[in-house]
Amino acid sequence: MELTANHASNAFPTMLSEEMLEEAEQSKTLATARKTVGTPFVDTPRMTCRDIQVFYGDKQAINKMSIDVASNEVLAMIGPSGCGKSTFLRCLNRMNDTVLSCRVTGEVKLDGTDIYHPSVDVVPLRARVGMVFQKPNPFPKSIYDNIAYGPKIHGLTKNKDELDEIIETSLIRAGLWDEVKDRLQDPGTGLSGGQQQRLCIARTIAVSPEVILMDEPCSALDPIATARVEELIAELRTQFSIVIVTHSMQQAARVSQRTAYFHLGDLIEVGATEKVFTNPLHQLTEDYITGRFG
Amino acid sequence: MKLKTIAAAGALSLLLCGPALAARDYISIVGSSTVYPFATVVAEQFGKTTGYKTPKIESTGSGGGFKLFCGGVGINHPDITNASRAIKSSEMEKCAENGVNDIVEVKIGYDGIVLAHSKSVAPLKLTRQEIFLALAKDVPDPKNPGKIIPNPYKTWNEINSNLPPTKIEVLGPPPTSGTRDAFVELAMETGADSFDVIKAMKKTDKEGYKALSQTVREDGAYVEAGENDNLIVQKLQANPAAVGIFGFSFLDQNSDVIQGSFIEDMPPTFEAIADGSYPVSRPLYFYVKKAHVDVIPGMKGYLDEFTSEKAWGEDGYLADKGLIPMPAAERKQYHENVAALKTLEMK
Amino acid sequence: MTNLLEPGPKLRRRYRAEKIFKRMGLSAIIASLCFVFFLFYTIISDGYSAFTQTYIEIEVSFNKDLFTDANISKADFPGLVKKSLLKMFPEVTKRQDKKLLYSLISPSAAYTMQELVEETPKLIGTTQKIWVLADDDVDMLIKGKYQRDVPESNRRLKDLQLKWIDRLTAEGMLEKKFNTTFFTSGDSREPELAGILGAAKGSLLTLLITLSLSFPIGVAAAVYLEEFAPANRWTDIIEVNINNLAAVPSIIFGLLGLAIFINFWGLPRSTPIVGGLVLTLMTLPTIIIAGRASLKSVPPSIREAALGIGASKMQTVTHHVLPLALPGMLTGTIIGMAQALGETAPLLMIGMVAFIVDVPGSFTDPSAVLPVQIYLWADSPERAFTEKTSAAIMILLAFLIAMNSLAVFLRKKFEIKW
Ligand SMILES: Nc1ncnc2c1ncn2[C@@H]1O[C@H](COP(=O)(O)OP(=O)(O)OP(=O)(O)O)[C@@H](O)[C@H]1O
Ligand SMILES: [Mg+2]
Repeated sequence: MELTANHASNAFPTMLSEEMLEEAEQSKTLATARKTVGTPFVDTPRMTCRDIQVFYGDKQAINKMSIDVASNEVLAMIGPSGCGKSTFLRCLNRMNDTVLSCRVTGEVKLDGTDIYHPSVDVVPLRARVGMVFQKPNPFPKSIYDNIAYGPKIHGLTKNKDELDEIIETSLIRAGLWDEVKDRLQDPGTGLSGGQQQRLCIARTIAVSPEVILMDEPCSALDPIATARVEELIAELRTQFSIVIVTHSMQQAARVSQRTAYFHLGDLIEVGATEKVFTNPLHQLTEDYITGRFG
Repeated sequence: MKLKTIAAAGALSLLLCGPALAARDYISIVGSSTVYPFATVVAEQFGKTTGYKTPKIESTGSGGGFKLFCGGVGINHPDITNASRAIKSSEMEKCAENGVNDIVEVKIGYDGIVLAHSKSVAPLKLTRQEIFLALAKDVPDPKNPGKIIPNPYKTWNEINSNLPPTKIEVLGPPPTSGTRDAFVELAMETGADSFDVIKAMKKTDKEGYKALSQTVREDGAYVEAGENDNLIVQKLQANPAAVGIFGFSFLDQNSDVIQGSFIEDMPPTFEAIADGSYPVSRPLYFYVKKAHVDVIPGMKGYLDEFTSEKAWGEDGYLADKGLIPMPAAERKQYHENVAALKTLEMK
Repeated sequence: MTNLLEPGPKLRRRYRAEKIFKRMGLSAIIASLCFVFFLFYTIISDGYSAFTQTYIEIEVSFNKDLFTDANISKADFPGLVKKSLLKMFPEVTKRQDKKLLYSLISPSAAYTMQELVEETPKLIGTTQKIWVLADDDVDMLIKGKYQRDVPESNRRLKDLQLKWIDRLTAEGMLEKKFNTTFFTSGDSREPELAGILGAAKGSLLTLLITLSLSFPIGVAAAVYLEEFAPANRWTDIIEVNINNLAAVPSIIFGLLGLAIFINFWGLPRSTPIVGGLVLTLMTLPTIIIAGRASLKSVPPSIREAALGIGASKMQTVTHHVLPLALPGMLTGTIIGMAQALGETAPLLMIGMVAFIVDVPGSFTDPSAVLPVQIYLWADSPERAFTEKTSAAIMILLAFLIAMNSLAVFLRKKFEIKW
């Protein structure tokens, strides 16, 4: 009931005064949540997030965010540096569990199952919700072993031929095949930064996750490689859901169907990408995309 | 899972304890580092000429040896302890407390303590009184013999004008060593007794007497040179003015580079120590746990070997290693004691 | 505007400071190299002579009437040696002189005879020329460690003996040969018979126990503390205690070992198993601390990468973290092992500082270790033990170098290139 009410109220743009904004910034505790404007919820969600709060020790990094990720969509997350995009993304496959000081409250559901439920095992969860990190982090093993690792531990292949095939398709889809097909046994750490990032993408898609979380996957890539990754994202969307954090608004506009704008731990606005970029509801969003902020 | 770990731990501890439960087939000896060089020769000879294993000899010091020896009866406790002094009654009591009642005492010979220095200078001729004056912390005032003053002597000729005018510089063992104990008792205390003032204190102020006669000076004239006597020998070669204190066997082995000082006009020679005319010498012993003699293989043989004439006799191999033999009658007496396993009486 | 061609005074000062720093570093390295060379020079120049030993050839007739007893070992072998010597020097008749003559030969000559006859009983009735060990005094003279030009009374070898030695040398019956005994036997009170094998094997057995216990336990403890342990007061207390243990004087571990392993568990004194256990206690903190440091140095991004594709905690550690940390852990282990190899203080307490002749065959045989052997020999009155001491130090160093090269090899093998 409450949710619907919330939903309804969000339909109307609520403008926040400059004073309130400053006050929130000064207190830093983000005690009063800003209401999200736009359309954070969808009809057929793959993942649903409700009232997510994240604390690093005593410091609150994310304040009561509620948002859905639809099936077969690309959701872009934009916002100034340090506003909590990565933190939020890491809530979706419980990567924050590894940070000792980090505490997450609220509810995240994947296909209706609460992933923070005590009896949920993070191992299959992370196989279903894959992640590409902000900094490329290949294993110090061969290119082949980097990609083979996921399928091996999850027992996805029966024999070497199947494994070889997965590796080839993953590399092709990540746009790396032509560059590395002759040196699959070379160490993955010997590749260039951009190649490493594509290797990490290939490693993630090799286990066929249902949701892929990408944290600035293209920040180290040249325009050609970026275009290839964007193609890949478009292709993956036909099967999977993708949440991508990016600093490039053009990229967000190119690849995503919906865009979420983050500001200092708050989810300010969510909406269809076209709408957010052409006609933002919230002043802060407008400031940001027009370059007046951040 | 838990059961399995417990079982494994049990198996491991059984495995570890297994060998301890088995009988020991070698003799275990502990004790004095002074007796060590002699006992080891006997042990080796015994091991090489009989079918038994060579006894194991630890050099733990006399006190440490008695502590282990008196720990109890059983294969985990040593069979024999060597000592450069006789067992104390307190140690006998400790032994008795732990069930070690029957102990056989065997005196094996004498060890002379020598004051040696480089061959490049004339030999020192000292009396024990002069040794006391050179090394004690406090001495009677030469001008006013009733008064005790901190040791004022810096050179040997200040003590006696016949001695050389070199600085007093003595390298000797640290207080933990048995050689030091024996030296203090045999040389310094006797030297102190030659002063009436100090001798009188023996009756009136026992503590004060002990402190006065046994405390070695700490102003740098006496240098504690560690337990390694070979090092002292090397230092003496390098510094002709220095005098070293150690057991006779080290002088015996290094007689080409160092010489012993005369004490009371007696040189520290094999003969002089053997007939008792060299005054600074002490008896050496070992003690046998009677209860072990029939349990540990080879015990009788080892005792026989040690108390045989070819070992501790005048021409025996122990004499070659620097042990000063006892007079023939005493040797015979101890040999008989050992053969009969005559035990010590509680004092 | 700074002139690019003419560096200003500030820049020159900076360069000067840099140069001084470089020179200081270089001279520090040169100084330490000098010390190392000096150490090696003194040890080797003192010890190399221990690898040869003087032998004397004697002609022995194994007369049948000596071996009347069925038990060969009952025969008078020392007498046999003496007789042979007298035959070589018939002019020696006085009792005193005979004693001098006999003392040219090591007492081991009799054992040599016994072994020979027991091995090939056919020798009985024949006459053989046999090389036997010379006494350590003769050996020292041949090696130039005794001065000849001091008065006779001050020499351990008398004029008569010098004459005989010179004659034997001239006739080619006295020679220095390679000292195999040193490498094949245990301790002895006769320097010419003393060997390092007993102590070396003792060290090997002891270190085997230490390594096989402390490495797995240390690695497991480090991994648990670093990767799995919850961050609470208990872990803090454990951490502080481990760090403290690393600084505890090693003799304390000896006391602990004496109390637990010998008095409580009843393990036999003076044996490699007890020594190994005590040294395990001593090296564990070192290994745990080094292990944790190398686990810490594995970048967290590797852990995230593995967790991110759904590896479990255990898989992350065993597949990714541990292989990366292993070289560092190995280095820590080898440092711990090297410490253990050179340790005598804790072994004193558990009775490993002992005279042990028989070469240990198992973990429960009494045995000494290399540093103990060095300590015991350095403290022996016989002059000939000086060179044995240095030789034993060389063996210890060889042991260390071998262990370090193994460590370097293993590190190279397991090292993962980034
Ligand atoms: N492990 C951590 N411990 C403590 N605080 C953290 C931790 N990680 C992130 N933070 C804090 O949480 C806030 C959000 O960080 P986050 O990494 O999510 O930002 P971001 O939006 O991804 O920024 P960027 O665009 O620069 O990547 C920041 O203030 C940051 O300092
Ligand atoms: Mg980020």
